Amino acid sequence: MRINRLTFWLVLAAVAVVAWAAFFGLGGIPGADKMRFGIDIRGGVDAVFEPVDLGRLPTEGELEAARAIIETRLDQKNILDREVTVDQTSGDVIVRFPWKSDETDFNPQKAIQELGETAKLTFRDEAGKVLLEGKSVTQSIVEMNQQTGTYEVSLTFDAEGTSKFAEATSNNVGKRIGIYMDEMQISDPVVQQAIYSGRASISHTGTYEETQTLANKIAAGALPFSMQARNYSTISPSLGAGSLNVMVTAGMWAFVILCVLLLGYYRLSGVVACIALLLQVSGQLLALSVPQITLTLPGIAGVILSIGMGVDANVIISERISEEIKGGKTPQQAIVVGFKNAFSSVFDGNITVMIVSIILMLLGSGSMLSFAYSLLTGVLLNFLAGVTASRLMMRSLVKYDLLARPALYQSLSRRFVL
Amino acid sequence: MKFFSFYGHRRLFFAISTALMVIGLVFLFINGVQLDIQFKGGALLKYSYVGDLDADQVADFTSAKLGRLVSVQKTTDLSSGETRVVLELSGAYGMEAGAQGELDAALSAQFPDNHLVSVETSLVEPFFGQRFLTRGIAAVLLAVLLILVYEWITFRKIGGLSAGITALAALFHDLLIVFFTCVIARIPIGDTFVAVALSIIGYSINDTIVIYDRIRENRKRYPREAIDRVADLSIRQSMMRSINTNVAVTLSVALIYSFAARASLESIISFALPMLAGSISGCYSTLCLAGPLWVMWQKRKGKKPVAA
Repeated sequence: MRINRLTFWLVLAAVAVVAWAAFFGLGGIPGADKMRFGIDIRGGVDAVFEPVDLGRLPTEGELEAARAIIETRLDQKNILDREVTVDQTSGDVIVRFPWKSDETDFNPQKAIQELGETAKLTFRDEAGKVLLEGKSVTQSIVEMNQQTGTYEVSLTFDAEGTSKFAEATSNNVGKRIGIYMDEMQISDPVVQQAIYSGRASISHTGTYEETQTLANKIAAGALPFSMQARNYSTISPSLGAGSLNVMVTAGMWAFVILCVLLLGYYRLSGVVACIALLLQVSGQLLALSVPQITLTLPGIAGVILSIGMGVDANVIISERISEEIKGGKTPQQAIVVGFKNAFSSVFDGNITVMIVSIILMLLGSGSMLSFAYSLLTGVLLNFLAGVTASRLMMRSLVKYDLLARPALYQSLSRRFVL
Repeated sequence: MKFFSFYGHRRLFFAISTALMVIGLVFLFINGVQLDIQFKGGALLKYSYVGDLDADQVADFTSAKLGRLVSVQKTTDLSSGETRVVLELSGAYGMEAGAQGELDAALSAQFPDNHLVSVETSLVEPFFGQRFLTRGIAAVLLAVLLILVYEWITFRKIGGLSAGITALAALFHDLLIVFFTCVIARIPIGDTFVAVALSIIGYSINDTIVIYDRIRENRKRYPREAIDRVADLSIRQSMMRSINTNVAVTLSVALIYSFAARASLESIISFALPMLAGSISGCYSTLCLAGPLWVMWQKRKGKKPVAA
């Protein structure tokens, strides 16, 4: 690609656009204000639920049912912004949710307690009378109806349940039997005919996932165990908000001070370095806000650390260029040679940080994942901004006669020879 | 600047490092290692309060209620002025959710004027801790292994294995400094320690590689020079680069630490302080330990000063 004087301004404009998008958002691109923060910043609850007195690991089916129960509970409490995950190897269900803005009446301990209790599943007629209970259900799975091509929940009842169900259905043909989880209705099918077989299908117009969810919820009502939170942490939002401010301030100061140092020490190379740093940080913020990856406090620390490490690439390059100039080359030559020689060094250095952050992402947990992600994106963006963008900018700038003076590219350090 | 031989002063540097290690060990005996509740399990309850509060009274009351030993600490958040009391329940097990609610209510009843409000809670069962601990150690070992392999391959022309091992020695030194910082400052060892350790691994090796890179280049350029002079030259040439980078990283971390310390953000302090110690140590070990160590190794192998 031919580099001319225009290139610098193009790159600068690109940086400006990226920075604007990162901090304020642009068009459909979410900016820093739409960042998804971790619970340590927003405040919230992070709990791990385990079966009580089970003596064995719960089966996959049981864990899925348990997850469904907890999700229903969270629905009932109107907690929609949440993460519920299942850990098969240890037999836990992990729940995370942030406080809402009006959290004053929200008691974390009570909420956690309620989340784990055994759910009560009931089948009721239209008048609200309880016809039978969830514990009579022995199996609840999804099947595809071959004739209609829709998905159905297929239920199997135990002996007592079968006779109760037979009675319930024969009394209510043509009417609805509501299926309730605690007090919330999860399904409302119409009884087609009396059922004596102890097997029933609830036809459900929905996708496979929706039908599976319903099946899980019914199965959940038949869980033989209750869940208990064995491990949890809660953070009040005030603690979180304060922390965020502190970190952002620290980050801004770091950026400013480093820019001043770069400018003072490396002059024109320093100017380019600052612009490259801005690009790197903006890129990192976008890499977080666009895919809505959770950003925690260690994650912010990782961004700040990346600023420091990112400076490294430009320092290497600037030092090299300065050395070449002191060795007698013209600025144009020095820049070309400098970038070429410095690249292997930058690469080697960044590779190790990359290895480390990948390992941390694979083996780390919780808020440290955000830290690893910040480091990784920092390294990748460093290549893009600290090396490529810098190179374009410098090679363009040097085409201006005014900026071709060697002194502008010399650093303040001494030259060492043997 | 005078001609300063890093290799020549190596005994001084080794002495300094040894002294630091000894100090660290002494503190290790005095303070012991505190495992973070994430690793060993336990319970940490933080309440904010207003007015005067006798922390020991709170501790005794809680202890009597729960039947466990309770240690207590008061903290003040410097930026908001909020006063807090931190209860640590002894024994490596958590507490049930319902029990916490009862405790909150009981504390409010016992100390009504102080408006005790639960601000942060961490309860961890020890078997979770085991998992975190093994994963953390695995992460560190894996990182070290991968980086060693990478260095061996990249620097095979200047005796890759020796470069890898001396870099590792410098790294080990840095990790010990980080560890001892946690011990001296009584920072519990948890997943923040793992994150710091991994960052320092990446960053310290990064730094050391720069020197080796230079040595490799200078060996090509001055094939007939004695190896310690080449090493010294390389270190001095890359010194500005090394120092500037280290200043940049150390400055960033120092800023994080000072802001966090002012606001009493323990979670960040427990990350920033070891990180700070590690980055300073990283600079020192790269310049003053890694280079001279490698030269000593090469000399013992009897390498002739001709490029391979």
